[in-house]
Amino acid sequence: MGKVKIKKKETRIDMTAMSDVTVLLLTFFMLTSTFLQKEPVTVITPPSVSEEKVPDSNLLSVLVSPEGKVFLEVLGSKDSTMKSETVRADLLKNMVAEYKKSHPSANLAFTNKEMETFSKLNAFGVPITKMKEWLNLEPDQRDKFLESEQNPGIPINMNEDPNNPNEFQMWVRAAYNSVNPELQESMVKGRGIAIKADQTTPYSVVNVVMDNLQTMKMNKFTLMTALKTEEE
Amino acid sequence: MAIKTKSRQKKFDTRIDFTPMVDMNMLLITFFMLCTTMIKSQTLQIALPTNEKVEKEQQNKVKQSEAVTIIIDGKIDEKTGLSNPEDGMLFYYDGMPETDKLAQGESNMKQIEFGAKTGGAYPAIREILQERNKEVVLKIADLKKEWKEMKFSKNEEVNDSIYQEKAKKIRNDSTLKRPVVIIKATPNASYAHVVSVLDEMQINNISRYQIDRINEVDSAMMIMVQAKNLKK
Repeated sequence: MGKVKIKKKETRIDMTAMSDVTVLLLTFFMLTSTFLQKEPVTVITPPSVSEEKVPDSNLLSVLVSPEGKVFLEVLGSKDSTMKSETVRADLLKNMVAEYKKSHPSANLAFTNKEMETFSKLNAFGVPITKMKEWLNLEPDQRDKFLESEQNPGIPINMNEDPNNPNEFQMWVRAAYNSVNPELQESMVKGRGIAIKADQTTPYSVVNVVMDNLQTMKMNKFTLMTALKTEEE
Repeated sequence: MAIKTKSRQKKFDTRIDFTPMVDMNMLLITFFMLCTTMIKSQTLQIALPTNEKVEKEQQNKVKQSEAVTIIIDGKIDEKTGLSNPEDGMLFYYDGMPETDKLAQGESNMKQIEFGAKTGGAYPAIREILQERNKEVVLKIADLKKEWKEMKFSKNEEVNDSIYQEKAKKIRNDSTLKRPVVIIKATPNASYAHVVSVLDEMQINNISRYQIDRINEVDSAMMIMVQAKNLKK
């Protein structure tokens, strides 16, 4: 009788401790995680020894695909004073105003619902004239269009005339003038604009973006890189 | 008998099987682990000169004895239109380009291969830059020794910040002989090439560098140097 009893105890493992550990780990991951944002193009940034981290607030990042398409991402402040959503909605409003300066006859108006859709998007990159159509697509169709080859990205060209900006420059200007004073401040300091490009991207492509920013006198910005440990 | 069964049931009730709970937690942990970005991207801060002509003239007044021009060239894959970060060439010259004997294939431009294949990060260019920036590099090396021995402060953080401050002072010390590096890239160079050359500036403590556009003289010299090296 006694023998049998001992055997029975051994087959069962107490999972409580295990459960404790997993719950702890889970809490840790839930609290520290920032989700990978979906990006229209996957880029592998070049390695560098720089140890400065990318700011996770008040940032306008310019995503450059190897073919030269340009996408933008906007982040608001860290606390809830200037949420990314608020900044993005304002950005679109500014952009419309900015665009109408050079195209007074353009019929460009967004409904509140479209504004709301826009404010929830992480990355965007369609010509402003197609924006309305794009915002009214179904979410998965929207992503597909952004990634598709028909999408030219934000129109950009070599432009050295600050009085006659291209659409990319208008967007940057709109972000600069947005409701978020912190974004403007960090853009002036050079921490607010980050260029993210793949390491295989030809320099001529990146140069166009840099040159556009230079024309707007925003000649301080950061390049996103991955960490490389220096061998001594 | 009746009492016996009762006590048995009680014993079962107090013990809950945690195995499914652990299973679920593990699944959730896996999900969070895969979806999070633990390593944030690094940034490399750069400041470009403005596009305005007045400032350009001022830049050209850079003391010619201190100037080093580095030209980065890459190769573009015809199929993909991408530039391979492992395939590149560097050209450099001190001071002004010497073009009087260019027709005979003689100039002060030199060609070096990228060190990507040899494993080290550009052993060749690092030597050249360190040679030009000797005074600063030596001083920083001395400072680093003191920093490693924690001479500034016993507190690690205070030690770090004092070191950083002192290093910055040395880098910007105008009494030392410091080179001005002008970085130019051909359209074929890849983004990774440019970033790694910018990286070398950090590694070699060069405080004065700028990115400039390539001009006809540079390209003509490059062609001649390349042709000459091929003949050899």
